[in-house]
Amino acid sequence: MAKVFINKDADIKESINKENVTTHPTEIKKSIISVSPLKIYSLSWFQALSPNIQELVIDCLQSFIGEFEEIRLRINQPIIFRTGLKEMTVTSQKQLTFNLEKGYLINKEEIDRTVQLLSQNSLYAWEDEFKNGYITIPGGHRVGFVGKCVLDKGNIKTIKDISGINYRIGRQVLGCADKIIPYIVNNDQIYHTLIISPPQCGKTTLLRDIVRQISDGISKIGFQGVNVGLVDERSEIAGVYQGNPQFKIGLRTDILDACPKSQGMMMLIRSMSPRVIATDEIGKKEDIDSIYNALQAGVTVITTVHGGNYEEIKGRPNLKELINWRFFDRIIVLSRRKGVGTLETVIDGKTLEGI
Amino acid sequence: MFGAFCIIGGCGYIGFKIAHIYSKRVELFRFLQNGFSLLETEINYSSTPLPLALERVGMKINKDCGSLFAKAATMLHRKNGITASEAWNEGIITLSNKVPLTKEEKELLNVFGHGLGCSDKEEQLKNIALTKKQLYMVEKSVEEEQKKNQKMWQYLGICTGAVIVLILL
Repeated sequence: MAKVFINKDADIKESINKENVTTHPTEIKKSIISVSPLKIYSLSWFQALSPNIQELVIDCLQSFIGEFEEIRLRINQPIIFRTGLKEMTVTSQKQLTFNLEKGYLINKEEIDRTVQLLSQNSLYAWEDEFKNGYITIPGGHRVGFVGKCVLDKGNIKTIKDISGINYRIGRQVLGCADKIIPYIVNNDQIYHTLIISPPQCGKTTLLRDIVRQISDGISKIGFQGVNVGLVDERSEIAGVYQGNPQFKIGLRTDILDACPKSQGMMMLIRSMSPRVIATDEIGKKEDIDSIYNALQAGVTVITTVHGGNYEEIKGRPNLKELINWRFFDRIIVLSRRKGVGTLETVIDGKTLEGI
Repeated sequence: MFGAFCIIGGCGYIGFKIAHIYSKRVELFRFLQNGFSLLETEINYSSTPLPLALERVGMKINKDCGSLFAKAATMLHRKNGITASEAWNEGIITLSNKVPLTKEEKELLNVFGHGLGCSDKEEQLKNIALTKKQLYMVEKSVEEEQKKNQKMWQYLGICTGAVIVLILL
């Protein structure tokens, strides 16, 4: 079978480029139907699965392949594929089932082979990544690990005896920020923005598209692009793999990859003089301090935070300060009520009233 | 007369061929040590992933010896879930087809393969250093063998040829 695919090298390359770029949320559905076996083989997260699991996906789960958000392998537990809010598995007779208990059990060897495959048989080359518990693979997807931590003078040295692996499949939805951009960009002014969202609601995807649009410029509203500094602490927004961002994040974007947020923001202000700094999931004391510094340097901050709603965030120790200071001009709340990335409310951070 | 020359020449050639294997083996163990040094550099300074590191080493050193690294690299590049130690064993098989290896020498390389890739940098370097030391020892003993046997095989070939000619006369 593999030989057929090699002959169609050009097609593969083309589909790699299109791989995780969907034009609009409503079009995701259409693209699922058109995933051909050829395209499946060229998906970069698919290539990072062990051959056994690849076979399961090809045999039983082809129709769901465009929808996967997570694939979880746990030792002596059934393999779980998650799409949106649904979880499914495959029985050892290769039958798709939603009854997770009947699923194909993952053994230690499967996990070990997967780790070898993910690390390209070179654990030594990913020491830092293993310390943090995840690696970024081509395509900008992330794979997280758990196992037994090996300590050295109280710090985590590495993780051994890996017992659980989680593939988080990143997806770029070009244009998903279209609705939100008018709240953030007004003529040439860009507002300090906080995006509040529970997990799995498309917070990172949204931030990625906001960064791309602000950096490229938006011709529809006559907005010229500006320099954007992106502090990507968890390599999630730009999905940098060996120095190359795997997602489109705009032509005026400078990325500090795998850098702690507070240090990264200061570094970017000093070194790249951005107009806008974007970062994911703030909340620590240092983060708040460096946001103040950014303010003093005249840089706009666009950031996100985990949380169900505005009231909840108002009660958080560090964020409370920021909101009471009326630092943010716009507070955007997302939910999953009408599908991923539903725009719940937009709050004017100065008057603290809805818009 | 012509036949006699042919027999002496033929036997002499076989003798030289066998003698050549000894020098080839000495060369091999010398180059293998070089190869391991290169691998050490790739792992230590640039943290190159194993498939690429092995490929680079395979290209840099002499052909026979390089086949060990090159074969292992091609196996790993296929990404079909093969472990580094399995790929390395394939490399050893390729190598032993080119240059004869004793069981102990294969075992030495095999043991190195077990630790390949599946630990942190420090352990990798330790493993390489140990193997290099062992290869050095093997090189010395192979050199001894060469000194003892190379000349003998060369003479033996020609002499055997001459004896056969004498008997036939």
